[in-house]
Amino acid sequence: MPQLNPEFFVSQLFWLAVFFTFLFVFLWRVSLPRIASVLEKRQNKIDESLSSAKELRQQAMEIEKKINDQINKAKLETDEKIKETINSLQENVSSQLSSLDKDLEKKVSDAEKEILKSKEDQMKNINNEIANITKLTVGKITDMELTDNELSKVIETQKGTFN
Amino acid sequence: MAAKDSPLKQFEIDPISNIELGGYNISFTNSSFAMLITVLVITLFLTLTVNTRSIIPSRLQLISELMYNFIAQLLSDTVGDNGKRYFPFVFSLFMFVLIGNMVGMIPYQFTFTSHIIVTFALAAVVFIGVTILGFINHGIKFFTFFYIPGVPFYMHPLLIPIEVISYLSRPISLSVRLFANMLAGHTLLKVFAGFVVSMPFFTGVFPLAFIVALTGLEILIAFLQAYVFAILTCLYINDAYHLH
Repeated sequence: MPQLNPEFFVSQLFWLAVFFTFLFVFLWRVSLPRIASVLEKRQNKIDESLSSAKELRQQAMEIEKKINDQINKAKLETDEKIKETINSLQENVSSQLSSLDKDLEKKVSDAEKEILKSKEDQMKNINNEIANITKLTVGKITDMELTDNELSKVIETQKGTFN
Repeated sequence: MAAKDSPLKQFEIDPISNIELGGYNISFTNSSFAMLITVLVITLFLTLTVNTRSIIPSRLQLISELMYNFIAQLLSDTVGDNGKRYFPFVFSLFMFVLIGNMVGMIPYQFTFTSHIIVTFALAAVVFIGVTILGFINHGIKFFTFFYIPGVPFYMHPLLIPIEVISYLSRPISLSVRLFANMLAGHTLLKVFAGFVVSMPFFTGVFPLAFIVALTGLEILIAFLQAYVFAILTCLYINDAYHLH
């Protein structure tokens, strides 16, 4: 077996020492710090991005809160305004209704008075007419001249029976 | 020496240029060449792919980062915060074994991890380093590592030698595991490759298909053994910090 031939043991050990030492020192001093720096750079970048993302999220949340506040405020204001408007409208309506009622009452009472007055007038006229018609009718039938006084006395006595 | 067509011939070391230093033969061999290729692949890959240092990685950069994170995770899982100091060493060890195994999977390419002297040297570095670390952290108290608390007192004469032997056999188990896996895998591939040539007519297709499947398995083992080597190193480092 060539592995057990000591002829090249020293040579093997010598070159192993040379190459492995070189490899170790090279990796230790050159390659590994490079890779480490790249990894570190990436980690820093990731951390930075994460923290800025966090900050932005915070800001977004603040903005959202502001918007919500404003929406709520606007809602409250609108509610208030709607209430006010409804109240003022109701007041307006009730005052107008009451003035209308007064107007109407006045008009009704005026009309009643007028009606009463015209009724009285009409009644007076009717009495006169009755008197005239009676006078004429009596005159035609009997040739008897009736005075107004007599007539009115008779009419007054008969009035209750007509009604 | 192995015969010309022996499956073990692939493990023979051929000097590329003969060098001698202080009476020792330190020839640059095919094994040294494989190590050179391995180190070049690792250093160039890990350097060039991360050259742009982009925040959004390219696919190749991502591979480097994944390997980095893989070993970093392994260390932090097994050792915890103390493990960060040993990251360059464990990472180098993992990459060296992994790419060494992978380079060995290239046909006609030498596999240096199939040589016990190489794997044993790596395991010895881990073993000696961890033992020194244990003494630095705990001083003479490190010997209580061999004393298992909560065991009846009459068991200790039996258990302490077992613990000592198991501790001392760590570098052997660590190195032989890797060496034997590589040796067996590559030998098996070579044996079946021999069947492809020696079987009559077209029946050589069957061992060829087997070789294809076995190559996939060997690539898995190449990764797995590098992983095992790294995770055991992590566990030994952890032991040097936390005695029982």
